Amino acid sequence: MSTPTVDIPYLNISDPSFAMQSEELRNARAASWYARTNYGFAVLRYDEVSKLLKSPKLKQGSAQWPAHNGVHGGLFYDWWTKNLLVLEGEDHHRIRRLLNPAFSPRLIKDLVPRFQALANELIDAFIDKGECEFIRDFAEPYATRVLTILLGIPESEWPKIARLASTVGLALGVTFKRDLDKVEAAVAELYEYADELIKDRQANPGEDFVSRLVLASRDGDRLSDEELRNALVLLIFGGMDTTRNQLGLAMQSFIRNPEQWGLLAERPELGAKAVEEVMRTNPTVTWVTREAVEDFTYQDLFIEKGTTVHLFTQSSGTDPLAFPNPEMDLLGEHAPHYGFGGGVHHCLGHFVARADMSEALPLLASRIADPHLTGGDEWLPDSGNTGPTRLPIGFTRRS
Amino acid sequence: MKTVDVDRSLCDNHGQCAIAAPEVFRMNPDGVLEYEPTFDDSLLGEVEEAIDVCPVQAIFLKD
Repeated sequence: MSTPTVDIPYLNISDPSFAMQSEELRNARAASWYARTNYGFAVLRYDEVSKLLKSPKLKQGSAQWPAHNGVHGGLFYDWWTKNLLVLEGEDHHRIRRLLNPAFSPRLIKDLVPRFQALANELIDAFIDKGECEFIRDFAEPYATRVLTILLGIPESEWPKIARLASTVGLALGVTFKRDLDKVEAAVAELYEYADELIKDRQANPGEDFVSRLVLASRDGDRLSDEELRNALVLLIFGGMDTTRNQLGLAMQSFIRNPEQWGLLAERPELGAKAVEEVMRTNPTVTWVTREAVEDFTYQDLFIEKGTTVHLFTQSSGTDPLAFPNPEMDLLGEHAPHYGFGGGVHHCLGHFVARADMSEALPLLASRIADPHLTGGDEWLPDSGNTGPTRLPIGFTRRS
Repeated sequence: MKTVDVDRSLCDNHGQCAIAAPEVFRMNPDGVLEYEPTFDDSLLGEVEEAIDVCPVQAIFLKD
């Protein structure tokens, strides 16, 4: 047995005050590629996150989440245990093959004019006031209405979709058991919604996204009605809060880096780069959870079967060993970030998220100058999916 | 005949191509992509799906 030459850092990741962008974390990352935590290990550096994220010795680590919270049945439990996020092996691959074509970047590109019109409509509503609550007035309606556009349902229904998605999202919080009745009711309502959509497109198939899912087939295999319903609920569950939070974090990043905001205003073609840089340096998904499927040793660390491994996204994306100049830089050439996870469980909807955010950010930059915080902002904790829930900002109108 | 080419400077070994077109792309036990540049014409649809789904868009068809 070799003796460790450094003390392995310990991070209390369930402490509500635990901060990803902190001296504590930077010191831990400088001392060691991994840390011990109250839930398994945390991987802190880029190269190790990149390799372990795609390692066949690790699987997605959230399958047991409901059971860990004392939930062993019901609508949410049934949905969760059959959804793409936690399926593994051929069960996962089969569903993924059938879903993937609808998410093709070529098809998403056709929606870009709608994303632009939506962004401008939302900006029009507050541009003359010189201030807005960025989450309420932009990030949330934008993220949700993009989903309604994708699903082909009336955009006016977005507040209901937003409410249902947020309610189901309570299942990922520490108060899951307490919120169970609300979560179950929201899943039931989303199921009704999804069933109606599926029935409609089966009867009247078109060229739209849901029709593509309904018609998807491969080697004579198709998605069952239940699998279609699960997928639509996953899309709403996974696509709304994440995009809303990431847009809020993007605004925070640009408020901290005003010269980058100015650059984006002058060069809207940097929109896609802006999304990558925001997600590398300030991602909403602060870690990706994996679980060891067998005993193995990685570098100097023995990882026992069943061990939880958290792959830290922001920490890896700003690791000085991989990014000598880790600050946000729209003109820099940087290795890819892992804000969309990676490997077989790489985010299914990332082309949609990338396309909609890369339209929204340059349009915002081209119309509002000098965005700044005006106080009263409220934030989710850094554990899990983070971001502002309230972000009042002031600005001047760019002429 | 078309062939397929992966830009290794972009490839990040996510393995989505191996899910979309397992006859052409596979991940070795170390999690590194291996693939056949030539493939049967009947697999063109699957290869096109692999090209579309690649998260870093590193796969290209060549005539």
